[in-house]
Amino acid sequence: MKEELMQILEELRPDVDFANETALITNGVLDSFDIVALVGELNDAFDIEIKPNNLVPENFNSADAMLALIEKLQDE
Amino acid sequence: METSVLCRLNRTAKTYADKIAFKDSENALTFGEFNALTKAVGTCLAHKVPAGVPVTVMSGRHVYTPACYLGAVRAGCFYAPMDGDMPVTRLNQILGVIKAQIMIADRAHLEKAQSLDFDGEIIVMEDILETQPDEALLAAREATLVNTAPLYVIFTSGSTGVPKGVITSHLSLMTYIDAVSKVLDINENDIHGNQSPLDYIAAIRDIYFPLTFGSSTYIIPKNEFAVPTALFETLNREKITALCWSVAGVELPAKLGAFDVLKPEYLKKLCFSGSVMPCKYLKIWQENLPDVLYVNQYGPTEATASCTYYVVKEKVDDDTVLPIGKPYDNYRVMLLTEDDKPVPDGETGEICVSGPILALGYYGNSDYTEKSFIQNPLNPNYRELIYKTGDLGSFAPDGTLLFHGRKDRQIKHLGHRIELGEIEEAARKIEGVIDCCSLYNKPKEHLYLFYTGTATSRDIVLAFRQNMPAFMVPRKLVNLDVLPTLPNGKLDMQTLKTYFK
Repeated sequence: MKEELMQILEELRPDVDFANETALITNGVLDSFDIVALVGELNDAFDIEIKPNNLVPENFNSADAMLALIEKLQDE
Repeated sequence: METSVLCRLNRTAKTYADKIAFKDSENALTFGEFNALTKAVGTCLAHKVPAGVPVTVMSGRHVYTPACYLGAVRAGCFYAPMDGDMPVTRLNQILGVIKAQIMIADRAHLEKAQSLDFDGEIIVMEDILETQPDEALLAAREATLVNTAPLYVIFTSGSTGVPKGVITSHLSLMTYIDAVSKVLDINENDIHGNQSPLDYIAAIRDIYFPLTFGSSTYIIPKNEFAVPTALFETLNREKITALCWSVAGVELPAKLGAFDVLKPEYLKKLCFSGSVMPCKYLKIWQENLPDVLYVNQYGPTEATASCTYYVVKEKVDDDTVLPIGKPYDNYRVMLLTEDDKPVPDGETGEICVSGPILALGYYGNSDYTEKSFIQNPLNPNYRELIYKTGDLGSFAPDGTLLFHGRKDRQIKHLGHRIELGEIEEAARKIEGVIDCCSLYNKPKEHLYLFYTGTATSRDIVLAFRQNMPAFMVPRKLVNLDVLPTLPNGKLDMQTLKTYFK
């Protein structure tokens, strides 16, 4: 699953080092339009529904945080 | 009659001295404090440059940025704002057009400012905010201003690959502010929530409503737009009553489901502009906030960002197409055919605009100015300039203007105006790209680049990220052996569009 996520992220923003970034939102690396595109792609790829309450920096600041969110939503 | 926007600032600084004018997540300035800062900046500038020259300002999303803009005006100058987050290549292009002798940069952008192709003087914003005001000098500089003098130069995408600097006068700005505030009923009790980058045309309302009416503007931190619930919490905490946002900004919270969590409790007015509003998102706003005044604004930067407006009184459906309505006060709108003849009733023509809101042209580019701002071909009797917008429209029987898209290859993407030709120019400069074509998949909001050559899509995106604003980076790249052509040798865009998914 991580591979698929990394592929989506890499395609979205090949200029970002997703393996090491830990403040993607807090530091404004990803902007609001990246998030809109990303939420759509993640919902489709992992068959989840990311809710507005999930859209907080802690869930999107790093690839690992996104992975944890996806796993949590898949369990629900 | 007011000679410049300084008349407005002088008035509100007196009447509302202790009221908040601008606020951001860290600082707030009263009108009195704001005015004092403009005098400090103005005095510093007036000692360095003559009246009537451009001052570039590269500063962040904070309350001191508008103070620098108005400081330039106090020195009898006009400002050319630059977004410090833009790539160096882009900033250098802007500097190459404006050729200013002086730049104000805040400390956060100083290093970047120093890396640019700029041989004028860079002054650090934080160092000049306490300059002792020289009232006599400032009064003399204010007296040089007439209302047709330039107020600012704002840059927009140019199809030749170089951004164009649209020059707006004090008169144009004040005419627009008076017209739009009448529609939105702006008054001293309003609190605006600024979304637009401060260097961008859409921010003029957030800057000049307070200076005109004594209302306040809260500059919303950029990253809150990625966190819709935080955005709405901010609107409520700051008791924001009036929003003038891009369509893209209005769509965001609706798209990300923010209304499922909370609502902006204090909002009374929402004006949106910049592109066609998809009504499935406006419907969500209307359902949640039925009593808000919704206004659809249309117009190009060249006519002070505006032209016509439409007050949305009906409840919209997913497939509603909003009219663009009727001209603001002091705007004249007419339609012309391809060969500059009047358009028969009800038929489609190019939207043309005239009035005191017309820009003074493109900075340092008289050829392009003369081509775009022309004598009204229907008026042989006296001088009357019109701007041909390149947009197509028709009048409904009741006189309401309807919008029918572009004549050329200009698009609206993420709230910004983009020439597809500029994307292609940029792509052709990348090593490994031989030929290319850029197209826009509007329903999906995907900017496509079709190209031939050995460059990988990663190479291309990285090059774009380095040289172009984020909104101009193609989202979908398609590498082809050859670009399809029509029998006449022109690019076959319809075949390319079959790649949209």
